Amino acid sequence: MTTKHFACKADEVPQDMAKIVTVSNMPIGVFRLEDGFHALLNICPHKGAALCEGPVCGTTKQTGATEFVYDRAGEIVRCAWHGWEFDIRSGEFLVDPAVKTRRFDISVEGGDLYVHI
Amino acid sequence: MFIVDCDCHNYWCSATVLEPYMEGLFKDMFIRGERTGPRGAFPHGHRPWFHPEGFARHDVNPVEEGDNYLIMKEKHLDKYNIDVAILTGDEPIEASTLANPYYANALCKAYNDYMIDYWLPKDDRFWGSIVVAPQDPHLAAAEIRRAGGHPRVVQVLVSHGASRPYGDPFYHPIYEACAEMGLPFAMHLGGQGGINSTPIGAGPSTFFWETHAILPQTAMTHMASLIANGVFEKWPSLKVVVIECGVAWVPSVLWRLDANYKALRKETPWLKRLPSEYFKDHFRFSTQPLEQPENIQHLWAALEAMDGENTLMFASDYPHWDYDDVNKLHVPPAWREKIFGLNALDVYTRLPRAAAQAAE
Ligand code: FES
Repeated sequence: MTTKHFACKADEVPQDMAKIVTVSNMPIGVFRLEDGFHALLNICPHKGAALCEGPVCGTTKQTGATEFVYDRAGEIVRCAWHGWEFDIRSGEFLVDPAVKTRRFDISVEGGDLYVHI
Repeated sequence: MFIVDCDCHNYWCSATVLEPYMEGLFKDMFIRGERTGPRGAFPHGHRPWFHPEGFARHDVNPVEEGDNYLIMKEKHLDKYNIDVAILTGDEPIEASTLANPYYANALCKAYNDYMIDYWLPKDDRFWGSIVVAPQDPHLAAAEIRRAGGHPRVVQVLVSHGASRPYGDPFYHPIYEACAEMGLPFAMHLGGQGGINSTPIGAGPSTFFWETHAILPQTAMTHMASLIANGVFEKWPSLKVVVIECGVAWVPSVLWRLDANYKALRKETPWLKRLPSEYFKDHFRFSTQPLEQPENIQHLWAALEAMDGENTLMFASDYPHWDYDDVNKLHVPPAWREKIFGLNALDVYTRLPRAAAQAAE
């Protein structure tokens, strides 16, 4: 059973970095992407850093050639400490998707954001 | 548990904090001379690669000089109950990359005075490293004798990037001064580039992460050189601390050194013991960044083979990107007290033992 918790006002979430909130004692990063809002647990599965306080950025696409295709701008958060890259929508670590930080559903009601836990 | 962090970087926002500590010609050079980086950068011959995202953790964002300490206190010292933080500076160890040893020495002196003046009084947990520029060992030795007497200075620090291996007799004036002042000689990863023109044995590597992974190469060379050149026969009290150079490689190099010495001891008749015995008595390694194999037993076997219980000392490398969290250090539980603090008391003899007992 998930319950819905108020997280913050939608306009408090900046474009290029997470808004860090505490919801039911959990540190959570709320992100604004083109397709809407996303929320990840602000604890890195690597060594527990404040993952969501890292930069929101893109990354290079895996290719078979020596080329640098910069991709997915704004869809990746790099952990604040060692820089592991996580997909903001799924919480998955790009090198090994089996490693992930928890993601939460988020809903918008008027100007308010709610996280579903 | 009594925790000594052997590699805690005290940052500045701008190297201009050194201005009040410089005078004469070198002050002019410092204010108006060419620099490699942005305004406020510290002068040095820079390495061939850069961390693509910058060195510092992204949750450490000082705006004003005072923030450097306040953030460290909140996010590191208080959070993890660090009892002792050995300050290791940051940019100043890159003074070793300058060709002009007089300027390099002036920069080191300015840094040491600033560190003693600005950082040490800020927190009882702070103990300092004085930085020297090893390219002129006589100037470095004079600086060790000048600044090394301060009661809260606990080690002499250089970069591991060097223009020749550290056991070379060229450097011996430095060890003479360290032994005289009762200070360990520490080398920290860095200082490649400039006059230290061979960053890695075969020439410059290409990518930052690649280079960072092979950073032990240089430390291997220094370890072998210090032992082979008889530095520890000449200065039996000297301790050498190797910071941020990895550790799991140590047993393999010691095995090779011992085997070769058994066959060819006649090349170095001044040695009286096996290389691995000098190692155990004289070398200490900081843990960070501790290797992270899939199977932790593989790491522990390596640590066992280097007598890690007695030769390792905890370091966080705050606030760098490869920071090690106190609570996530994967060492055998029975060794924790020694690695986290007690081993450091034997190396940094100016640290008060009472502090350790109080923390128990
Ligand atoms: S703690 Fe997040 S990458 Fe290491």
